[in-house]
Amino acid sequence: MEFVSELLRRIGPAHFVFKAILGAFLVDALLLGFILLRRTYRKRYFTRYNARASHFQKCWGDLVSGVNTDDRWCRNAFDRDIVKSLALGALETAKPAEAARIHSFLRGSGLLQRTIHEAEKTRGWRQRQAFIALGRMRAPEGVPALAEGLRDSNIETRLAALRGLGYTGSPEAGKEILEWLGEGRFTVPALPIENALINCCRERPQMLLPYLEAKDAPMREVLARVLGEVGTAALETDLIQIADDPHPELRASAARALGHAKPRIALPVLEKMTEDEVWFVRLRAAVALGELRTSKAIPALIRALTDAHRFVRFRSAQALVEQEEILQPAIFERVVELGDAYATDAYITAAENAGEYGSLLEALRQSPNMDAERRERLLAAASHRIGFGGEKRPEDLPAQTVAQ
Amino acid sequence: MLRFLVLANDGLFLYYLCSNLIYLALLIIALRTSARHHRELKSQPPEWIKSSPLAPPITLLIPAHNEEKSIRTSIRSFLSLDYPELEVIVINDGSKDGTLRELNEEFGLRPVNAIYVAQVKSAPVRALYRSTRDPRLVVVDKEAGGSKADANNAGLNAATSPYVCVLDADSILEPDALLRIMRTMLADAQRMVAAGGIVRVLNGSEFENGRMTRVRLPKKSIEIIQVVEYLRAFLIGREAWAQFNLLLIISGAFGVFRTDVLRAVEGYRGSAIGEDCDLVTRVHRYLLEKGQDYWIGFVPDPVCWTEAPSDIRSLARQRARWQKGLLDVLWANRDMLFRSRYGTIGWVALPYYWLFELLAPVIELGGILTIVLAACMGVLSHEYFVQFLLFGYAFATVISIGAVLQEELTYKRYNDWGDVARLVTYCFLEHFPYRQLHMLWRLQGIWQYLRGDVVWRPQTRKGFQSADAR
Repeated sequence: MEFVSELLRRIGPAHFVFKAILGAFLVDALLLGFILLRRTYRKRYFTRYNARASHFQKCWGDLVSGVNTDDRWCRNAFDRDIVKSLALGALETAKPAEAARIHSFLRGSGLLQRTIHEAEKTRGWRQRQAFIALGRMRAPEGVPALAEGLRDSNIETRLAALRGLGYTGSPEAGKEILEWLGEGRFTVPALPIENALINCCRERPQMLLPYLEAKDAPMREVLARVLGEVGTAALETDLIQIADDPHPELRASAARALGHAKPRIALPVLEKMTEDEVWFVRLRAAVALGELRTSKAIPALIRALTDAHRFVRFRSAQALVEQEEILQPAIFERVVELGDAYATDAYITAAENAGEYGSLLEALRQSPNMDAERRERLLAAASHRIGFGGEKRPEDLPAQTVAQ
Repeated sequence: MLRFLVLANDGLFLYYLCSNLIYLALLIIALRTSARHHRELKSQPPEWIKSSPLAPPITLLIPAHNEEKSIRTSIRSFLSLDYPELEVIVINDGSKDGTLRELNEEFGLRPVNAIYVAQVKSAPVRALYRSTRDPRLVVVDKEAGGSKADANNAGLNAATSPYVCVLDADSILEPDALLRIMRTMLADAQRMVAAGGIVRVLNGSEFENGRMTRVRLPKKSIEIIQVVEYLRAFLIGREAWAQFNLLLIISGAFGVFRTDVLRAVEGYRGSAIGEDCDLVTRVHRYLLEKGQDYWIGFVPDPVCWTEAPSDIRSLARQRARWQKGLLDVLWANRDMLFRSRYGTIGWVALPYYWLFELLAPVIELGGILTIVLAACMGVLSHEYFVQFLLFGYAFATVISIGAVLQEELTYKRYNDWGDVARLVTYCFLEHFPYRQLHMLWRLQGIWQYLRGDVVWRPQTRKGFQSADAR
């Protein structure tokens, strides 16, 4: 401390402090100057930008159809960016015929080729923006450049390329992503991969199947989730096989996809899956049973109401409440017969949440095939509440972060 | 004695130098990271979440205590947020006014027996309701728990999503705020356990039906100074600390957490005064003790607008409460200091908060007293004193203007030239007498805590209706 004190005193007022004050005020002035200059520049830039954008919007039809042959904008980077941005915006909402016209314009004007060139030759954020633009153009020519971007050493670049491939939504792009994953390059977060694959594999979900045989567990999980989203009835046989996979995530995804299969085939598999050892597989099976929209699923769903996990009970109850209204009194009677207060509670909660509780009570009161004693018993059960504020089953586990 | 005064004055100089140098370093880091974030947004816009079937559901927790003036507007605004899977839980925390009646009239509530498991402690729940007009809305009616923490705990028990977002009932979220914050959460879903967005001052701005229509700077000096403070705290402090996973606070007005983590730490501490800071510190403690690889982040682009105190008395109360809350958290977690198992939190973040946040007003007061004493005893060099003041003033101004610059370079919410000119002007004016008053309010907070006044008191606000009318 003495040293500091002496040092400050020696170099203090005359040099250090004086220079520091000057320096700080100079920085203040520079910051202010910069803010003013930047504001002025941006104001002028946007005025010019809006004027040019408005000009191109006015002649947009002629420009795209080729009636307007003035191609000076192609040689001006500022104009080119505006036209590209207008084209990408138009593509988002275009119907097929209009999209074809815009694609032809992008090719004819060289905008597509130039964007591919930017994606291949530039680096950093320019390259990433080119990837996104290329994806939004949804042109097959862009896929190789995007696929190359997946192998970049920078994670942001890889993510941008992945996003671009996802935007294209084409099976070719999906194939590139799957091949890249097959090379063991699972080096970006799972969700962007899943999202891109869902977009690209919707047309041909079977392309996922060979890759599901990989040994890499995280990759299989990702692919399983995608399959759960895009799986169709055409994959029934494969899905039934996956339903027996040792990995729970795969079983859950198979259950999810089986919700779209033919009830005759899916029902026995899903019934068995409601007894799976992993709760989220049981949950997915209960949801899928509901999606089959068949009364044959009711017995399995009623059994699932006695599940140890509250989410499984709740989703099973939801699926039961979504069954035909006429079946509800009979379903409720069978739920009450289980003698499980948690099952009854889950069913009533689901009925309340769906706004069907009043109709259930009314149906019980009006049901013609019910003697007075039975009616009273069911109405009493429907009015009973376990109540909230602390009661839970001992087996209940805290909610976990899984697909709900 | 003389020797002590000289040493004290030099020590004070070094303290300010260190404090400002740290902030300067934070400013440089923040400028760099937010520029990077801004570019990332261009190549990875958050809109993809909207169309993704895998977007995880999120539950908004909105504690409401006597909010009848603004509850309709704010809940309508929350329900209209741009996010595919939303659940909105309003916790009526023993309101004595017509909060529940207003909710019922606007959304048609019916009692339900929704699954509610009291995993974390809260005051007794009286009833649960679901809206007949929008089934995404659930109302938890509970007895007053005496704190926002208690209300949030009740909401946490009713939440059914893997993520919860804690909010204030009188805040306004920008429509895409959830998409933006979840973009970051999902970019590294395994490690990210929590993230905070930026909180900005809504005073002076124009809004309609709970939506911001025009951002303007407030008229009153005291409000403008708070705008500068918020910009400095969020765009510099939080942005930079988050780069090193050293964030100790996520504002209670807007933060997203993984539900399983909140339940694992048993939710909020009901008696905490600064419940937001307390929660984040306990999450750090829990995950560090478990040896988990995790990240708590800050996302600068999702915006929550909140009402700042517009009179000296309310501001004084708020700042005293913040200081009490800080002392409460730091004292409760003092065992984390300089312990290797708590890594950089124990070695860097907590010591910084002790030295430059909690003890700052005490050191400042000590400094002023020694300077006065030195002047009285004739050992103060006037030239040195004036230069010291000028240096401190100019350096602190650099930091404030840096925050305005950061805003200009990236998010640029204040488009009016006049607003920016006033903002910059207040960067120069905030140091006197506001800074000295602020020191006194913070000292008052410490004094109240030491005297045992540790009751959580909600802030009185005007609400949307009165603000709308402005």
